[in-house]
Amino acid sequence: MKQTGMTLLLGVVFGFCLSRIGFTSWDEVHAMFTFGDLRLTIAFGIAVALLSVGWVAVRRLRPNDPAFAPRPIHRGTLVGGALFGAGWALTGACPSIALVQLGEGKLGALVTLVGIFVGNALYAAVHERFFRFSVGSCEG
Amino acid sequence: MTYWPAWLSGLALALVALTHWLTVRRMLAVSGRFTQLVNRLREGPPAEGDEGAMSEAELLAAVQAMALAEFGEEAIDAATAAEAEAEGGAPDGHTESAAAPFAQVSPQPLWLHAGFLGALFVGGLLSMLVAGGLSLDWSLASAGFTASFGDGAVSYTVLLLGGVLIGWGTRMSGGCTSGHGLCGVSRAQPGSLVATCAFFGTGIVVSLLLEALL
Repeated sequence: MKQTGMTLLLGVVFGFCLSRIGFTSWDEVHAMFTFGDLRLTIAFGIAVALLSVGWVAVRRLRPNDPAFAPRPIHRGTLVGGALFGAGWALTGACPSIALVQLGEGKLGALVTLVGIFVGNALYAAVHERFFRFSVGSCEG
Repeated sequence: MTYWPAWLSGLALALVALTHWLTVRRMLAVSGRFTQLVNRLREGPPAEGDEGAMSEAELLAAVQAMALAEFGEEAIDAATAAEAEAEGGAPDGHTESAAAPFAQVSPQPLWLHAGFLGALFVGGLLSMLVAGGLSLDWSLASAGFTASFGDGAVSYTVLLLGGVLIGWGTRMSGGCTSGHGLCGVSRAQPGSLVATCAFFGTGIVVSLLLEALL
């Protein structure tokens, strides 16, 4: 119950912050990628630095928390990341940003959002068709 | 709207990600929620985990089946017990933790994945209302985007294709700016470091190309 409430509350807070940070602005993101303005880059660096300390603190103070999920490199890591970056630069959006943009009244983000769902489903289908491990079942 | 300075922006992002772990009991990872929704739409009721993790689980199942055929059931039981002990007696078996990174917590219901995405929308809306009012824009309310792609069919095509790249890419690499970029890089996870370098890399290249060509 508390977890459900916090999920929704944090969604709103995260969306609000992303908007205030300027991560939802195509111009700000473009300035970040073209080194025209380092504000977002520095913000990202500060967030990562604070979090790296934060995770250590969480481990120390809450040793019974579930283990952090590892994020190993796999065959899709590099290519997938690269494709996502191209989409981000074109639309000014990452998955959460498209929704925040829509909330801000940027209606073009609805098209981005449709694209994200289509791309996710397309990859799922292609992965299933071409990359899927066979478990050796004869039932296909 | 005047945007927050870098220090406040970074602090806010870190606090949201940390609070998410402490209260929601999982890492902030937005593209994963898209994947859960898409999986349900594609496959019906049983929502499954990330594709990469699923393949791993399937591989494990195949290996176990082979071991079962070769050595019999006791061998697997003994191995699993030994592994569980080595891992500090995790409540779930090794199979479970391999199948789903968040096996220790029960999966969130589908409506909550949609709810989180809806909450992001509300957050953006609130931001505008607090700033003094919501004004609708048929594009992205961006001078740069409109200067590059106009406000007609070309711009919507770019948004659609760009969106497809985002959806495809994040699912393929298993994360986006939140899961890989924030939460993975800060834990020095190899997959996240590679993915983040990759998406910042192509982001920079494509943006510089836009600058040069358009």
